[in-house]
Amino acid sequence: MADLVRTGCATRRAADVLLRAANGRAVMLRMPAPATPGSAAEQLGLATPEFQDVELAPVVFRKARAKVATKKAAEREMLVSATAVKALLGSSGFASASAMFAAAFGVLVDEALLTIVSASEIEAGGEICGYTLLLREPVVLGI
Amino acid sequence: MQNAKDTFYITLCNRIAALNPGRTVVVRGVTRPGVLVEENELETAVEMPDAFRLRWTSAKVDAAGALPLVALGCEIRYCTDGNAGNGGMDRGRLLAAMDGELASTVGAGPQSAVKMNYSGTAQGGAPAAMGTNIFWGDLAFGEVVVNGERLERVATVQVFSYQEAGEL
Repeated sequence: MADLVRTGCATRRAADVLLRAANGRAVMLRMPAPATPGSAAEQLGLATPEFQDVELAPVVFRKARAKVATKKAAEREMLVSATAVKALLGSSGFASASAMFAAAFGVLVDEALLTIVSASEIEAGGEICGYTLLLREPVVLGI
Repeated sequence: MQNAKDTFYITLCNRIAALNPGRTVVVRGVTRPGVLVEENELETAVEMPDAFRLRWTSAKVDAAGALPLVALGCEIRYCTDGNAGNGGMDRGRLLAAMDGELASTVGAGPQSAVKMNYSGTAQGGAPAAMGTNIFWGDLAFGEVVVNGERLERVATVQVFSYQEAGEL
């Protein structure tokens, strides 16, 4: 049992080292603040929620996998450390990573807000060692 | 027009909450009646099963009368996957329950409500009653769409209101 636990930890650490070695960087996960109970103004779109940016690091973009379709926004894959996600889950109170990513408004990369299209787990040796987020870039206006 | 949309939503919300208090949805950590307006929510919140989602579509203004008559098209979208504990085999029954709730709240009388102005609620004030009513026609239920294990339906209704002087 102890060996299994150690193996899981080692997989996550190895993934973290790989992400850092591949020029891992930090991005911000933009989360909406909890809704106000019983607020008709929020339900009617009169009051908008506040947003909170929380750091997500290390992450790596797989630039080679950017998908660009004609007249459509490009999509990029971002690899995220499971350790970073686990730390966020502990502080934000979400039951699972999928619930957290589903609730997130987007990922702030420098000045650009990218929409989360999907999130999937990266598993190795029966342990989640990272997450792949598919992000949609904002549409660039043609001039 | 916005007052008519807001009034219809709040009326439907209150009627659903009174008919089936268990029909709830969790939006950004808060439980509320299972009715939401798509255009008032974050994009991430709109795909929720077992809840009614209002989508405002068309708008027509008939200026022939003393007050312009506005006709707004409203799609009420809902879907269910069934209960996971039942393997989703009760999804037909759950969709029928939602059909029934909608028929009992929108389809049943009175098909009207006093038009309210909710703009004051943004500053913590109370909604103000206006001089006219909103009223709506009968529900038209669309075909069931089977999307994998999910059953989806769109019901449509036309909501009418008189545009009062000075109303946006």
